[in-house]
Amino acid sequence: MTISLKAGASALALALAAQGAFAQDIQIENADWWQEAGAKFDGVTIRGVTESTPPSNFVTDVIAPKFEELTGIRVEIETTSWDQMYDKAIKDMEAGTGIYDVVYIEQDIVYSYLSRDFLVDMTAALEENSDLQAPGYSEDNFTTFADYFRGENGDLFGVPMEAFIKIYLYRTDLFDDEEIRAAFQEQTGRELEPAKTHEEYAEIAEFFTQYFQEQGEDIWGTTAQAHTGHPASWYEYVESILPTFGVYNWGINADEDYAATVEHGGEMNSDTAKEALTWWLSMRDIAPPESVQSTWTEVATTFAAGRAAQGLVYGENAAWIASDENQSRVVGNVGVALPPVEDGVMEEIEAGNGYIGYYDGGAFGIPVSSNNHEAALLFAQFLALPDLQEEWALAAPRITLTSTYDSERVQQLDEDLGGYFSMMRDDGALFQGAPPYPFHAQVREAVAPIFYSILTGSTGVDEGLDQMAERAEQELTNLGYRTN
Amino acid sequence: MQSNKLGWFLLAPTLVVLFFFGVVPFLYVVWLAFHQWNPFAVDPTIIYNGAENFRRLVFDQAFLSSLGVTLAFTFFAVTTQVILGYVLAQAFMRDFPGKAIFRTIHTLPLIMAPIIVGSIWKLMTTPSIGIIPHYLDQWFGYDLNIGQSAIAAFTITVIMDVWHWTPLVTLTLIAALVSLPPDPFEQAQIDGANRRQIFWHITLPMISPAILATVFIRLMDALRTVDEVLMLTGGGPGSATRYLGVHIFREVFPRTNYGYGSAVSVIVLYLTIVVCWLLFVGLIAPRNKKA
Repeated sequence: MTISLKAGASALALALAAQGAFAQDIQIENADWWQEAGAKFDGVTIRGVTESTPPSNFVTDVIAPKFEELTGIRVEIETTSWDQMYDKAIKDMEAGTGIYDVVYIEQDIVYSYLSRDFLVDMTAALEENSDLQAPGYSEDNFTTFADYFRGENGDLFGVPMEAFIKIYLYRTDLFDDEEIRAAFQEQTGRELEPAKTHEEYAEIAEFFTQYFQEQGEDIWGTTAQAHTGHPASWYEYVESILPTFGVYNWGINADEDYAATVEHGGEMNSDTAKEALTWWLSMRDIAPPESVQSTWTEVATTFAAGRAAQGLVYGENAAWIASDENQSRVVGNVGVALPPVEDGVMEEIEAGNGYIGYYDGGAFGIPVSSNNHEAALLFAQFLALPDLQEEWALAAPRITLTSTYDSERVQQLDEDLGGYFSMMRDDGALFQGAPPYPFHAQVREAVAPIFYSILTGSTGVDEGLDQMAERAEQELTNLGYRTN
Repeated sequence: MQSNKLGWFLLAPTLVVLFFFGVVPFLYVVWLAFHQWNPFAVDPTIIYNGAENFRRLVFDQAFLSSLGVTLAFTFFAVTTQVILGYVLAQAFMRDFPGKAIFRTIHTLPLIMAPIIVGSIWKLMTTPSIGIIPHYLDQWFGYDLNIGQSAIAAFTITVIMDVWHWTPLVTLTLIAALVSLPPDPFEQAQIDGANRRQIFWHITLPMISPAILATVFIRLMDALRTVDEVLMLTGGGPGSATRYLGVHIFREVFPRTNYGYGSAVSVIVLYLTIVVCWLLFVGLIAPRNKKA
């Protein structure tokens, strides 16, 4: 055996030992029940597919081994890219091949899956098989995020495993710097505080970009998720910008025959939508130059590199930006706030007539085509046991059970994250998941070329949004959702 | 007779695999091209719609734009690869210090997966962290941003493809050059032919089958390029690098427009065959006729 082979084998053994030890550290109440329940499924292997994310990796590295240890049921979860996961899951469920017993369901694709009856009704399945109802598992434990995975009958079709909100991050070291504060006050006549309105946000962004340009430093006033060839830019616009101007659900009106144009009752090309896009593009223009190639990942990287004073960042990145010194230069200098809104919009949102931003996340569901429904039901409940949640939240900043907020260690992390978890608990209701449409990717891809063309300046905002609204209606007509 | 049977017997496993993993999926795509099928439509069933998908293609601006940029990409990438590949092959025919090391380094891109190539070029071209924009700015004051400039993005995708695939052309042409008999070259030198005459009248005609084979291979690859470009630009900015492969990917995977996407795939296959045939007719057939 060569030295390198020995070293590799040792590292692998150490990693496996560490992983095993980690899984063993977690104590599960009612371990006997799990052993007895698992005994009925001797020799069964549960197969799953999920996107490779920190919460999913925790499932494969820690939760699945613990489940195997207790029940004897083998678990094999593929972690792969989002595209691969989506493609594999859909093809399996469409063809009914039964390869997968659990699939990852991102919040915005659950409606597509429900519309095709791809998923097992977990609530009903557990009622029918009360002997499989695990002690410690209860749908009442979940945060309200679980509601996104309920069918029209109110039953649960997926067990939430991750939940994040897209928040407004700002650099506390810059916002608290006396010299900067004085310069800002001198220029604007007001105190430098996190923005509450778009006007304030733009003022701060312009100030910082100009201030650091004069200093010769590479720091800009805002981030922008404005890739000119990737859906990330579309999502930033429809999920994070439009709602803060008071245009919801992508500007598509489901009550008006899925109208997108103003002419038919939609808002995709409304004056407000045009104002929102114009504002966002003006922010993009004073953001770091890499913004036109930035997806959600690069925006987080830009912020973590200390190249932006403020920005809208997906919550799943907030933890490492705020606390991981190996990846972030702004550790300890991150503040969290609600996204800025247009005047009057917050009142509308607080009255329950809108939302301020995106409530992102995912769940594990059981395909109807699975051949191991019952074993998969056990695994799905295992994922939602309170005993696992603290370690899971610390490993990846996700919370899906209300009880997790009470953990002391989670509260400590919350402090390090500038109050991100508290915001999710207290203001989570102001955020909302993607609209309940089964045609997200279809409409997005139909209008995306026009949207990218607006971003490059080849098409004007007004003209482009008019074209997008028409194209969206055309696609919805082709798909059969729009009847006129 | 015996050896004939043995031959078929030995070929059988390959033929079976080819049939199920090559012929059957191909026939399925052709069949789907004549149907409307989007599993997330109100009616998710597969509906026969005759040649409607092909009729739609003719008026689809996104497809036509994609076709235009793909042909331009293919022309620039393949032409550059062949010229550069030939020059490098000739260079490698001579001895120079460090030749072995240089040849190895030059061949390394070939063994890289396209998705990795796309990632590397993305890192190298991203403003603020990329080495290419950094030095272009420092040396020439040129602000390279492939997320903003359509021409820059197109050019970089061509350069990336040239970087990745020129070694293949070089290796093929080295093999062709090595196998050339010395006699015609010696005779030409005795007759007083200069280097240019030798190249045009002896070298080029003798290695043209190898060049043509390489061009065919590269042409087919370039017309269906996906991974590298998807990783580097995502097809942007706008639709500047939305080549046919990327267009098909977007239609079939995220948009789940299986029928229409299949029709585009069939047309791309047809286009590839036509372009290869035109090349064959233009370059090989006249030579055969003369002979």
